[in-house]
Amino acid sequence: MIRIEGLGKAYRTPQGEFHALHDIDLEIARGDVFGIIGRSGAGKSTLLRTLNLLERPTLGHVYIDGEDVTHIDGDRLRRLRQRIGVIFQHFNLLHSRSVSENVRLPLRIAGELSTAEQTRRVNEVLELVGLADQARKFPGQLSGGQQQRVGIARALANKPTLLLCDEATSALDPQTTQSILRLLVDINRQLGLTIVLITHDMNVIRAVANHVAILEHGRVVESGKVLDVFLNPRHETTQSLLAEIGLETEGAIATARSGSSRILRLTYRGVTALSPVLSRLSRESGVDFAILQGSVGRLQGSPYGQLTIEMEEPDDSRFQQLLVALANQDVRCEVLR
Amino acid sequence: MDAATPSLWDAVIAFDYWPEIGTATLDTLIMTGVSLLFTILLGLPLGVVLFLTSPGHRSPQRQVARMQAITYGMLSFLVNVLRSAPFLILLILLIPVTRWIMGTTLGVEGSIPPLVIGIAPFFARLVENLLREVDRGVLEACRAMGATTRQTVFWALLPETLPGLLGAVTVTAIALIGYSAMSGVIGGGGLGDLAVRYGYQRFNTAVMLVTVAVLVVLVQLVQLIGDRLVRRLNHR
Repeated sequence: MIRIEGLGKAYRTPQGEFHALHDIDLEIARGDVFGIIGRSGAGKSTLLRTLNLLERPTLGHVYIDGEDVTHIDGDRLRRLRQRIGVIFQHFNLLHSRSVSENVRLPLRIAGELSTAEQTRRVNEVLELVGLADQARKFPGQLSGGQQQRVGIARALANKPTLLLCDEATSALDPQTTQSILRLLVDINRQLGLTIVLITHDMNVIRAVANHVAILEHGRVVESGKVLDVFLNPRHETTQSLLAEIGLETEGAIATARSGSSRILRLTYRGVTALSPVLSRLSRESGVDFAILQGSVGRLQGSPYGQLTIEMEEPDDSRFQQLLVALANQDVRCEVLR
Repeated sequence: MDAATPSLWDAVIAFDYWPEIGTATLDTLIMTGVSLLFTILLGLPLGVVLFLTSPGHRSPQRQVARMQAITYGMLSFLVNVLRSAPFLILLILLIPVTRWIMGTTLGVEGSIPPLVIGIAPFFARLVENLLREVDRGVLEACRAMGATTRQTVFWALLPETLPGLLGAVTVTAIALIGYSAMSGVIGGGGLGDLAVRYGYQRFNTAVMLVTVAVLVVLVQLVQLIGDRLVRRLNHR
């Protein structure tokens, strides 16, 4: 769907050239929910904006559906943008227009449908985002979550194949964030829409993305399937971003009782996550565990668990037995201490 | 009340200049109305062009951006020149232009061109500033939706500023009422003309006071109507 090759973006500033993006290669498949995460200033917004060329790359290429769009302009560029939906952190709705007029705007811009067809389409997408009864209201009369739903309806009006989300939930409270994210997942499933989203919050990635790229100082420092990256983060930025949502083990070790106890990190996914692995092992091996930190849940519909556990000085042979037993249960095990 | 001392009401009845006041009021209304119309027709596009070519809104293509910078520089200079000339001086300076456009420099017709030329730059600046107040996110959304500049202006920018525009029209209309009175100095007609001819040249204080009173009422009415419309159209 989207291929980014050797992408770079430099700005001229009075202090010389500022490189916002360096040598970025990414591939985003059709139907993916692709998350781009990074701290502020990492360049994620710039990267997202190169996808619809609101930002022109200074180096490299952007391919959409196999077509090199890096240098198109004029009417072709407008046609391309009309096929790409965008939702914004601050919604960017017209406050002077009603909800339905806001949603109609992209249809008017594209100018392909008759007024009656436009009205039908507006009602369709408002229905989809659950705002059919608010069509006559003005954005100022709606809550933040409802306004973002209008934003989503507007983005979907022209039946795009690609939806770009620019920190779409950052201005919303946690509960509203969840409902908007759920809506995005629904849309992705129902319409087979490819979604590219940027965020600084790993919770957003965990909730909706199936692929993730971590951006730092304008470079992709790590990317892959969300499950892989979450369970085996390699780069320190990834680890610290995960730590913010309690999915990181370094801190946990510090909380362990000092001395000769052993610390293990267990990672398991799939059906294993549902079976009572730990209690069975504890019973069978006669070793007692303390859970220092952990996370159990679902990522993209597949159950997973990651636990950091501490055990009091088991003798060596029992410890080795335990490791074998864990391996037999399909649990990945790292000895941290 | 003693019948010998005339009351205010008696004075009002005895005032012989009501027909003149009526005609002059009508003239003022026509002058301001027509001037306002042309001011909007001229100033609104001028304000939009100023906004679109202003720094921060220019094309990423260097050639186009250069043309925009030149356009902005010239228009901005013209607007500043017209705004810095005192209106009274502008009235006199524009006499040949007025004669060329209207065929006369006197009366209601004679005052419309200088009024428009004097006030349209002011209105254009108001429009430019209003457009600057529009949330940049809205512009960004329009670009992302693939809108042309024309679509962005007519379907997003202007609707978003409509309440502000009405406010600007109100301010401009009131300024025009004031300016139109000033044009009486060069024989422009209307209430200003009346005040100058009777109040100043013939020392008829009563006419002058009534003229001022009528102007006050006009200004209040315009402001009232303007405020009402702004409130009705504001959805924020």
